[in-house]
Amino acid sequence: MDEAIKVIDSHCHIASEEHTPLSFIEGSVANMVVALTAQGVPVSAKKLMNIFMNKMQDPLGDQLVAEMEAAGISKSVLLIADFTYALKDCRLSIAESFDRHREVMLRHPGKFEVFGGIDPRWGKDGQDLFERSLTEFGFSGFKLYPPCGFSPSDPALFPYYELCAQHRVPVLLHIGPTAPVLDFTISYPFLVDTAARLFPTVDFILAHGAVSFVEECVMLCRFRPNVYLDISGYQACLGFDPTAAAVRNIVSLGINHKVLFGTDFPVFRLQGEQKDFVQVVTAQGGPLAELNERDKALVLHRNVERLLEQRAVAVPA
Amino acid sequence: MEVTAELDDKIIALIAASVPGKFKKTKITVATNLQQELGLDSIGMLALVFRFEETFGIDIAQLGLDINIAKLKTVADLIQVGREILDKAQIGAA
Repeated sequence: MDEAIKVIDSHCHIASEEHTPLSFIEGSVANMVVALTAQGVPVSAKKLMNIFMNKMQDPLGDQLVAEMEAAGISKSVLLIADFTYALKDCRLSIAESFDRHREVMLRHPGKFEVFGGIDPRWGKDGQDLFERSLTEFGFSGFKLYPPCGFSPSDPALFPYYELCAQHRVPVLLHIGPTAPVLDFTISYPFLVDTAARLFPTVDFILAHGAVSFVEECVMLCRFRPNVYLDISGYQACLGFDPTAAAVRNIVSLGINHKVLFGTDFPVFRLQGEQKDFVQVVTAQGGPLAELNERDKALVLHRNVERLLEQRAVAVPA
Repeated sequence: MEVTAELDDKIIALIAASVPGKFKKTKITVATNLQQELGLDSIGMLALVFRFEETFGIDIAQLGLDINIAKLKTVADLIQVGREILDKAQIGAA
């Protein structure tokens, strides 16, 4: 591993059931139960839930910061996915979730950027909250979770994109399958194309673009100047591909100015720690081994820094 | 408690049973990395834990132990934790 290289994690979440409803987690656990049962392993959903929930007890971000430190990650982007419209078992309102994230950001100065997420069906209230997040809270982007039931090119989102253009902050949207309680059919990357075309000064980041709809994500990154992707989710393949070939592939396609490193913490906490996931990517002979130093830096920190540096508003003291 | 070597062999046999086909030919030693050399992802690690409980007739959660699966990197780590769990179970049963 290159000891000196800077790493910024473009895709993280707070590990707390406050922000992730049980129905979302139960759906993911259901897939594990099916896989384990097929192997003849005696397991119950309840038991698996308990194991998973033990990894979701970091509401203040303290464990995450410790793991970042151990991994050499200098900063992480915390993403707020708004499940509060689609799933009715959320513990917090989206406004409360924004408040908690703001507290975490202030608790760990310099460690986090936050992208607030709003379901566009919250209407004007949602727009006002998002604007406040940029002007008062010091958040630095917009997070979308289309599987909750809307297209990223839904005109209801255009006022948000206008705010993003005005404040020069990026949009990060989920791509590909997710918890089975949500709709996979609207997680297709080309659904963002209309928005990306109509808002050319807004940058759109396709989350998990190295592992879901890869070909489509690469096309968009190559031909839309304002579309990027992050590699988070590569850990899902490490069991059968310990060399992270998905990452090696994505950085070999001539779009390294569009590729962002990300881990999707805490989704893979049963599999390893942040330092393991950084090590896999940065190891000698690893997926970035054939890149020159400039391209490595682009992927590991420069690309996301470039997007964040465009921000037009001052961060509140 | 079982003789240590016998216990270690049982744990290694459990690991071998959880290794996906692609990695079946990998020689398992105490230094072998569970994920990178044996292809054990989160599902594989969970399978291993549940098979361990079944084999030894214990429930780790009921023992009040907080096993951090993410910290188990090598076969040696797993053997060490397995010994600790069984020691705790033995104390509880005494």
